[in-house]
Order: sequence, then structure tokens, then C-alpha cells
Amino acid sequence: MFAYYLQLGLRSLKRNPILTALMIVGIAMGIAASMTTLTVMHLMGSDPIPWKSDKLHYVQLDNWGADAPYTEDGRPPDQVTYRDATALMTAAKADKQTAMFKVVKPVQPENREVKPFQAQGRATFADFFAMFEPPFRYGHGWNRDQDAGHARVIVLGSEMNEKLFGGQDSTGRSVRLDGADYTIVGVLADWKLRTRYYDLTVGAFAEPDEYFVPFTTMIDLKQRASGNNSCWRAPGTGWDAYLDSDCVWIQMWVQLDSPARLAEYHAFLDNYVNEQKKLGRFPRPLNNRLLDVNQWMVDQRVVSRDVQVQTGLGFAFLVVCLVNTIGLLLAKFSRKAGEIGLRRALGASRREVFKQFLIESGVIGISGGVLGLVLTGVGLLAVRALYAEYKTVATLDLTMVATTLVLAVVSAILAGLYPTWRACRVQPATQLKL
Amino acid sequence: MLKMTHLQKVYRTHLIETYALRDFSINVAEGEFVAVTGPSGSGKTTFLNIAGLLEEFTGGSYLLDGVDVHGLDDNGRSRLRNEKIGFIFQGFNLIPDLNLFDNVDVPLRYRGYGAAERKRRIEEALGRVGLSSRMKHYPSELSGGQQQRVAIARALAGSPRLLLADEPTGNLDSLMARGVMELLEEINGQGTTIVMVTHDPELAARAQRNVHVIDGQVTDFDAEASLRQSSSAAAADTAIA
Amino acid sequence: MEIRPILSALMRSKVSMILIGLQVALTLAIVCNALFIIHERLQRMDRPSGMNEADTFIISSTGFGQGFDVKSSQQADLALLRSLPGVADATSAITVPMSQSGWSTGVSLKPNQTTDTASTALYLVDAHGLSAYGVQLVEGRDFKPEEVQFKTFNERVVPTSVIVTRALAQRLFPDGDALGKQVYYDNEGPASTIIGIVERLQTPWLDSDFIDNSTLAPVLFPYGNATRYVVRAEPGRRDEVIKVVEQKLQEANPSRILSKVRTLEQVRAEGYANDRAMAIILGAVIFALLAITALGIVGMASFWVAQRTRQIGTRRALGATRFDILRYFQLENFIITSIGLVVGGVLAYALSLWLMSAFQAPRLPWHYVPVGFLCLWTLGQLAVLGPALRASRVPPAVATRSV
Repeated sequence: MFAYYLQLGLRSLKRNPILTALMIVGIAMGIAASMTTLTVMHLMGSDPIPWKSDKLHYVQLDNWGADAPYTEDGRPPDQVTYRDATALMTAAKADKQTAMFKVVKPVQPENREVKPFQAQGRATFADFFAMFEPPFRYGHGWNRDQDAGHARVIVLGSEMNEKLFGGQDSTGRSVRLDGADYTIVGVLADWKLRTRYYDLTVGAFAEPDEYFVPFTTMIDLKQRASGNNSCWRAPGTGWDAYLDSDCVWIQMWVQLDSPARLAEYHAFLDNYVNEQKKLGRFPRPLNNRLLDVNQWMVDQRVVSRDVQVQTGLGFAFLVVCLVNTIGLLLAKFSRKAGEIGLRRALGASRREVFKQFLIESGVIGISGGVLGLVLTGVGLLAVRALYAEYKTVATLDLTMVATTLVLAVVSAILAGLYPTWRACRVQPATQLKL
Repeated sequence: MLKMTHLQKVYRTHLIETYALRDFSINVAEGEFVAVTGPSGSGKTTFLNIAGLLEEFTGGSYLLDGVDVHGLDDNGRSRLRNEKIGFIFQGFNLIPDLNLFDNVDVPLRYRGYGAAERKRRIEEALGRVGLSSRMKHYPSELSGGQQQRVAIARALAGSPRLLLADEPTGNLDSLMARGVMELLEEINGQGTTIVMVTHDPELAARAQRNVHVIDGQVTDFDAEASLRQSSSAAAADTAIA
Repeated sequence: MEIRPILSALMRSKVSMILIGLQVALTLAIVCNALFIIHERLQRMDRPSGMNEADTFIISSTGFGQGFDVKSSQQADLALLRSLPGVADATSAITVPMSQSGWSTGVSLKPNQTTDTASTALYLVDAHGLSAYGVQLVEGRDFKPEEVQFKTFNERVVPTSVIVTRALAQRLFPDGDALGKQVYYDNEGPASTIIGIVERLQTPWLDSDFIDNSTLAPVLFPYGNATRYVVRAEPGRRDEVIKVVEQKLQEANPSRILSKVRTLEQVRAEGYANDRAMAIILGAVIFALLAITALGIVGMASFWVAQRTRQIGTRRALGATRFDILRYFQLENFIITSIGLVVGGVLAYALSLWLMSAFQAPRLPWHYVPVGFLCLWTLGQLAVLGPALRASRVPPAVATRSV
């Protein structure tokens, strides 16, 4: 019977081509608008490291001045001072921990064919690799001893290794950054991050880091961060005064493997800040935060308000399209009163009539879904053209394709319910009077 | 009242010409009750459509209450229809979305009467057909006979000179049909000209005069009277000219 | 004229009416709010930066290796740039408006004030700064070459003389006598004297709540070994000057990396890319909504006409003119649309309230809703015109046709 109804549904689509086209285009447009925006929002906000996102915590300490809070709503600064970062690294109370900052350095290739270029990288600690789990192609990260020894070592991203060494295993060789040589200990495979969640202070969709170097080594070289730097009072003159100042410019992450460890670390931080208060620092009330990856992404508005508004709008548009489809289906089905009466007279139960017309709605839904999928693809291309930085999140994945089709069919069937119910109520007698 | 002379109606497609009416002449005097009978496909309905200005004709002439309708534009025909003709359809043609009051109101709206005048006429018309008490009811709540009475009330409300009825009892059982027939006779008795199309000989027998249509042509059972009247009408026309 | 019977007929087919009405209501609510957002974005994008944007571009140079001396390299570069044909003027600078990155600081009227009087962006330029940016001095004087200090990263920057924007001057000294006054950029440090006031220069941050508060200070301040230059070409010669500048700077010192040139027009386009994208996306949604609603009205009206063919024939038989029938359907649409619009008006304000609470959006100005009414009335009347014309062409003879 299903096949028969499917056949009837398809034939019915052909009978009123304009009305059918209106319905399919309506559903397709609604689906495309909602799915395009939903895809972007979903991929932007999706958990970048689901297997341990609840274990990685971003450290925030409120070292701001007594007169005014860091933000009006009282959130602590989004970065920490060098002084606090090194204190927390030295204490090493978390299961794993790393402080980090963004650097931009000139790269001087040995190969004379390749012109010197500026490259963005990250100064960090050995734990970074175990915490954020970038995939290695060759070698491995450096170890904690090398942090302590201020070693001149480097881990290259795949793109930079491609540029400098043609993608070969370059571990053991060296690369020169701003006049200093670093030994390559590891090369990453292609690290596909939709959002660079480990540093949201310079934008979640910024270009990926091309290399990683020890934090301690960069401090030796008096390397300034290329990210944001905020001070509530002016630092003194000189590099050492800067390191000692209340300027925040470092991101600090800890890995805490259980809720108990999280509570312990929170207590440790509160204790640390209270000790510092005795030294005259941290004039504000205790305001430490340890947000996990997903909380931190929400806090930093990785999914921007614009994207949220667009998604809301996309779904409102889908609702309008569905209302439209209900009206058109009603029109289409009530033209068939005669046919329904005849079928009823020939022995079709209400149930059978219901099935037949629901399947016809489903056929419209699938057609609208397929067209909607194509339009979603077009929509995502348009998003990529409009937002250059969204190229990692404006892509269709398998889940989204499936969601689109399901959404289309469910929408069409929902839209078809009322008209179908009405169709079932046709009395055979009234239509067969002649 | 209604005078058709050598009227012709041809339906043309690119392949064939079909004569619905060929050389159709009829003259209905004021106050007459004429039944038009004939087998299916004889041209009865076409005659009625042309008489009621619903369709145009392709040849001959048609005078309605002395007005030559040939060459009238659509608006002119609509106005004439509204003022001079009342329709009673086989299928009643009540508007299902409107209650009885509003149904009877439809032609009066197009006539442009004021609200008080319309109300008076609607109440009077519904009173004449004995349905005053059900003005707020919808057509679907009435029996077939009652629906046809509403249709008659609607036809009467505008005080037409001519009532055109198309198988007015075709969808009714014999008891209801008799009631409707009696109503029509009563209306005719009050001076309204009635032309009724029917295939029911019993019904036709109750009219003053029968006109039989076969293959688009007229056989007037009262040919003498018809001839006499038509010649006198022609004489009158010449006199005016 | 015949509103009541139409209305009572509509009440007999409530669902269809509700569907069209609902569609009109949602459309109105969304279109009003989306149009308002677009309007806001366009207004935002329309704000002047205060700079000469048409002829100006920026380029950065980063030296490397031990032998690199940033101070002498900067002096040589500036002299070279100013000598090139087609260059109107050039300065070293840390940032430009709309670039979203730069320095900000607080300004106080007294030393050791607990809260700053105003926030300001800090533009560190040399004596050619005003000319290279193309900003307009309205009071006081420009910087003198001897006032320009050279500072590196780890030194405190406390300018002795500054030029501020009119907005900042007004904020600091509402009486309008800012020129010559002393202000404090560093709580502990020495005072700075306001020696000039420029008409306008935006801060680099398009979202900042002090966007018109900027300070220019005469300081050469390389960022490590990196320096940024702002170059203003003579009118109409920008593109030819860019090629020459890139080539000459590279030739003058090969042991450095030159960034890609960005014109101020590019900086503006990038700065406002999200606003532009939002406006385009909302525009597309509005268009699609109106199209769907119009098509929905056409579809439903066509259906009604088909369903009521016999009824139309009867009306015609009862004396309705073609125009009467046309008017019936136009009026019917007008009634449905109006009901939808009343609901939609309420929805529009409700949506606005929700956007205000969830996204801190400003309130929807009242006039958007009446304008939306007019648009949707027109849309409805146009959409129904086709089906209504078809209805008016239904021949009256339909009435006598058997079922």
C-alpha cells in the first residue's frame, strides 16, 4: 500500500505543477534559510574537544584596580599577569597546566629560494600538547625539563613544514626565527580546528598558529606578545618592570581530571589570591573563575549575536514557509474532495485516506528537502563569501545533511496534518450526489 | 417582455461548428408563465443563458423589455440583469458562506439600495416564501425545498419584471416540488413574467403556454397566439420607427 | 461598502483566513525588525573616520637579525617615502581608525584621580601625522619636529604636548576652552598640554563607546623591530604610488619583511565586513519573506477563486459587474491583510522587546510598523490582483451549469 500511495503522491505532484512548485520552493527556501544559519551556529558553538572539554579550565584571576572593575558586569580580566602565570606554573597544582601567549616573528629560511616571512606562533609549555592534543606527523612535543631549561626547541605546524621543508620529516633540523636558531622536535599533521578555542582573546576564527616554542625561552628573549595587553595602571620602565606589573597578557589553562580536583584547584587559587592580597596586590574582592572549554566559548561569545539573530530569523522564516505550505496543501487537498468521496465509497477507510494524503505531504517534504539541501549549499557559499573568517564553520557535514532532510520531511508532514485531517472528514455521500 | 427573433448561437472550435440554437424565435408577453421543454441537449439551457444575458448570441436579435441587448457591454448587461431579471437555478446556487439574509442581500447590494431599503426588501421577500424566522441560518441548515425558496426570495427581492427558472424543482422530491410550483404560480399571479425551463411534462402542463425546443429550434404549441403576438409587436416596432 | 458580508463569509472559512493572516503577521514582525537592524548597520557603516580614506594606505616593515637598527631605519624610510613622487605625506604610526587594534588609555584632569575623566585612543605619530592622516586641525597648532620623542617598548610614553579630537576636548572641558589646558595620561606622570584640536578622528575600535575620543601624540614608537607607515598619496595617484613604495622600501633595505599594503578603503571594508554581511543577509531574508508571502497569497486566492467559481457565476447572474467581483476579492484580501497586520504590529513590538532584552538591541522606532503596514497592504493587493482578475472573468453562465 505504501508504494501505491507513493505513486499516487508523485502523480499528484504532477497534476497541479504550479501549486506543487510553490509548495516545494516554499519548503526548500525555509529549510535552506534555517539550515544555513543553524549549520554556522552549530559548528561555531560545537564542542571542539568533546572527550575532555569538561576537564580543561581557563584560569581567570581578578587582579584589577580597586576603582573600577575590568568589565562593567564584574567579570574578571580575560588574561593573567606574567607574575601570576609563573606562580601557577611553578606551583603545578593542576594535573596539567600551561600558560601561553601569541607571538609573531620573522622566519629566515635556510633555503635562499624562500623569502623571509612573518609567522604567527605560540609561546607555551610542554603540557600544551598533552592538553589540547594536536596530531603529530613527525616527532613529539618538548618535555617539562626543556621548559625549565629554556630550550631552543620548536614544533612546526604542517603548513610551515610544507613551506620550509617540502613536507619532509624535519625533526632534528633547525629553523631560524628573528636571528635565533631552534631545533625542530616535532611536526604537526594537519590540525583541523574550527575555532581556535585555546586562545579566544584574539578572535575565535583567526588564522591557525604555525609553530610552537617554549614560553620560558620567549621570556628570555624579551619577546612581547602579539595579542592583547591591558593594564589598569602603567607598568614601570623596562622589561623586568613589565613582567612584574599588573598588566594582563597571558592565557592560562589547567587540566583537572575530576570534579574533586576542580574544587581543590579552586580552593588553591582562592588561597593564592588571599596570600597575594597580603602583599598589597588584588585589591578587589575574590573573583576567580575556572570556566571549562564550552563555558569559556559561551563567555567569549564565539557564536556572535549576529549569528544568533540570523539563526532565529532563519527559523522564523521556516515557520512562515510552513504556514504557507499548510494553506497551499489545504487548497490542494480540498480540490480532491470528489476523489476522496469516491475512494471512501469504494471502500477506503478514513485511516487509508489519512495515510494516502500524509504520504503525499511527505513526498512534498522530501522534494523540498532535496532542493533545500542544494539551496543550503548555496547559502553556505554565500556565508563564506560574506564572512571570510567563517570558512571553517560554513561547511555541510553528514549530520547536517541528515538533519536537513529530516527537518524537511517532518516540517512537511506537520504542515500536512491539518489539511489531511480535513480531507479525511469528507462525507462520501455529499460528493456523489449526481 | 422577451422577444427573440431568428436567434442563433454557434459554438466554434477550430475543427467544428456546433449550433446550440439555430433560428430560434420566441415572444413572451408581459405576465405570461411560459414553460420551455425539450430533450437534453436541445438548447434549453443555452436559451436560458441568452435570455438571462449570461451568454451572448451569434446572430438574430433579442429585445428584453423593449431593450435591444445586442451590443451592450458587460457592465450594461450586468445592470440589466440585476434590474429586470430574477434567477432560480436547479442547483439553488446559494452562497454557502452567507446566511439567508445575506444571500438575499447579494443582488440588492449590486443594485445599490440603501441599508434600510435592502432590509425591508429582504424581510419582505423572505416573508413571501415563508422563511422570515430563519434569516440567520446558513443554507446547509435547510432542506432542499427551503433552499429553493430562499433562491426564489433572492430572485424576487429586486422586484424583477422577469423570472427565469431552470428546472426549479429538479433537485426536489415531489412534495417539495409542488410547494415550489405553487409559489411560482402565486408570484406569476401577482404580475411577474416567468419563463421556466424544464423537462418534466407534468410541471410544464401547469404553465400557461408551452414552448418545445428540439435541436435548437422552437415548436410553439400555441403557434397561432405566438404568431399573432409577434406580428403585432412587429407592427408596433414599425409604428415607432 | 460590503465589508460585513465578506467578513461573515470569511468567518465561515476561518482556517484559510488565519493562515494568510498569520503569515502576514509574522512577515510584518520580522520585516520591521530586520529593516530596523539594516538601517542601524547602514548608519553605523556611514560614520566618517575623520581620515582621508581615498588616497591613504598603510604598510608595515619588520627588520630581523642583530644588525638591524630600527631607529635609523625608520628615519631613512620616512625620508625616502616623503621624497617619492606622488606621495603627499607619510608618517610612522601604530594604528589607524577602523583597524580594530591599537592603544587606549584613560585621561584625567588631575594627577592621581581615582576614576578617569574620559577614555581615549592614543595615536603615536611624528610631526607629519596630521598631514599624513589627512585630519583637519580646527584649533591650535600642529606638532613641531623638535617635539617628537623616540621611545621603545619598555619605556614609558608620556607626551608633553598632545592634539585631541573635538569630541574628547568637549568631554574633558565642556566649556570649550580645552586649548592650552593640561591633562594627565599617566596618573603619576607629568602633565600633557593640549596644543591643538582636530575636527574628527575615530578610535580604531568600531564598537567602542568612546569612538570619537582620540589623542595624537608626537612619539616615534616602533613595535620591537616593526614599524608601520601611513602614506597619503596625491589625489588619484594612490595605486601607482603603492607599487613604487613597495619596490623602493624593499630595495632600500632587503633585510626586512614588508607587509602587504592595505588601503584605508580595505581597512574600512574589513572593519565593517560583519555589518555589511548582516545587512545583506537580512535584506535577503526580507526579500524571501515578502516573496513567499506574496506567492502564498496568490496560491490561496487562486484556490478560493477556483473553489468559488460557481458562486462568482451566481453573483454575476444576479447582476454583479466584473468590477464588483474584482473589488470583492481585493476587499477580501484587504480585510485579511489588515487583521494580520494588527496582530503583526503587536508581534513586531514584542519581537523588538525580546531583541532588546536578549541582545541589548535598541527599541524599534514606532514608524517602522505603519510603513510596514503600507508595504504589506500594497503587496497583498498586488498579489491578489491576478486571481481577482481571473475571478472577474468567470462567465455568468457558470451559474446554470449543472454540478
